[in-house]
Amino acid sequence: MELRKFILRRLVEIGVIFFVILTVLFVLFRIAPGDPVARMVDPMWTPEDVQHVISQLGLDQPIWTQYLYYLKNFFGGNFGISFHYGEPVLDIIWKRLPNTILLFTTSTILAALAGVFLGKIAAWHKGRKSDTWMTLGALVCHTLFVPWFALMLVWILGYKVGWFPLNGIISPEVWVRGNSNFLVKGLDVIHHMLLPLMTLFVIQTGSYLLLMRSSMLGTLKEDYIVTARAKGLTEKAVRNHHAARNAALPVITSVGLSLAFSINGGALTETVFTWPGIGKELVFAVSNNDYPLAQACFLLIAAVVLTANLIVDVLYAYLDPRIRY
Amino acid sequence: MSNLSERVHLFDRLAKGWAIFRENLLGKIGLTLLVLFALMAVASFFTPLFGPMYDPMTGVDPLISHATGPGWRHWLGTDFIGRDIFTQLLEGAKIAFMVGLSAAFISIVLGTIVGMLAGYMGGFVDMLLMRLADMIMVMPSLLILLLLAALFGQLNIWLIVLLIALLRWPGVSRVIRAQTLTLKERPFIEAAKVAGASHIRIIFRHIMPNVLPLSFLYMTFRVTSAILVEAALAFLGFGDPSQVSWGMMLQWVWKTGHMFQAPYWLLPPGICISLITLSFYMLGRAMDEVLDPRLRKEEFSE
Repeated sequence: MELRKFILRRLVEIGVIFFVILTVLFVLFRIAPGDPVARMVDPMWTPEDVQHVISQLGLDQPIWTQYLYYLKNFFGGNFGISFHYGEPVLDIIWKRLPNTILLFTTSTILAALAGVFLGKIAAWHKGRKSDTWMTLGALVCHTLFVPWFALMLVWILGYKVGWFPLNGIISPEVWVRGNSNFLVKGLDVIHHMLLPLMTLFVIQTGSYLLLMRSSMLGTLKEDYIVTARAKGLTEKAVRNHHAARNAALPVITSVGLSLAFSINGGALTETVFTWPGIGKELVFAVSNNDYPLAQACFLLIAAVVLTANLIVDVLYAYLDPRIRY
Repeated sequence: MSNLSERVHLFDRLAKGWAIFRENLLGKIGLTLLVLFALMAVASFFTPLFGPMYDPMTGVDPLISHATGPGWRHWLGTDFIGRDIFTQLLEGAKIAFMVGLSAAFISIVLGTIVGMLAGYMGGFVDMLLMRLADMIMVMPSLLILLLLAALFGQLNIWLIVLLIALLRWPGVSRVIRAQTLTLKERPFIEAAKVAGASHIRIIFRHIMPNVLPLSFLYMTFRVTSAILVEAALAFLGFGDPSQVSWGMMLQWVWKTGHMFQAPYWLLPPGICISLITLSFYMLGRAMDEVLDPRLRKEEFSE
């Protein structure tokens, strides 16, 4: 019961936040210098198309009606037509979203697992050489500048050694030739994904290692660890089942909190590797002044971030009954 | 609580803090690196002494007009139109400090004030401010800045600094608020209230001095994120085009297709960005050990 009320409350909060973001975007697009109509309608189209889109998006109406049109269009999935691609924005982001989710969730999950595992070991061996090296390594990884590290990987592993393709998600030859089966295509995607995955993985693991380590150091001071030892449990059992299990909880919330930062890194990685995801589309749309696409990408990312935060909060509440206020 | 005893107490705390700091190897490494970068930034003021050829933005070598490797004339080589890379690196150090420190400073001023107000006032004000902080904290700052750059055109460096600060204060305010909440219950606050002190006076005269060390600690982390965001923005091409920052240098390497041919151009700015972030971070963690009430027994001024 408590949990259900908690989830409901968080849902409402998130809904409100998203609404505010929608409205702020609406206002921003209209107070920016330049003609607001030109932001949703490409002046290069034919006058009939221009008029059609204007009436569809309600851009010739007074501001309050425009706002209602804006909301209606948003929930109806009509985000306008992309200037650059000439297609409806919804189609474009629908095609790009799976790529981003694939890259991002894989790297985050792998990095969280690795970070928790390594951080647990580092904290356990605190003060010893292994801990110092692991912490230093994690610090370096955590503070690497994302696009630079991405470029380095492309340069060394892609260009110099030639092990990995330089960009994109697929090799056209593999996919266009009729005889490639699903496995070959799948392997091709993975082949392309390894470098961006590595970039994100290394940096994120550094962060999670540091988090888990400090969380664990705090947990190790708790009384129940002394009790566990006094009960005669092996060191390994104390470490894994008592200390690490509790220390991992704050790391989970931190995944949610650091999501904003990870998404920055994700967008940069996608751009450098030209991985066709939402982050890359946002950057490219902004560079090309493709406002409808940029706005939709941003809203989508905002929605994803808020949803992820909700999931993390609920997960944490499920795992730790103390915080369900 | 007389002024003299306060001052003696403060000096005592500083001395103890320095002793703890000195023990921390990482803190020392961080500080050393930062001093190095600071020297670079200061050196950037003196490059005009070497002649107009070495200007980071407009310097043009009459003999070289393309990317070349390190040599005697140009210690790190030249970029794609013959500008000296070393002076660009020095200039980047200056910009990094400028952007990092100012953005961090503004954001902790904002964050501290908001945190103290929220913690002290409680109730509706608290809820409103913390909801606002939540909302801002959740959004990826780089993408917001990108969108703003798209709508409002090329952003001036100081505008970027201000926007970064506006997007980063929530993190500080949460911590300050928590600290304020604990301080609020302390007897010396009660005493001040009984003595008739106004709310403003209590906040700024009694709570703020106890909260400031925490603010400054978080300033180091704000600096790192400010530098990273500015560098990322410049890398994507939305930085201030009149400023030669490290991110801008990386953008030039990338956009002119020299990233595979010119390691002497690709490596230095990237290493510098990562290294300065690392050193601020190490400094912050060392200071954390000095200041964190959880890690040592802290006596508040009473």
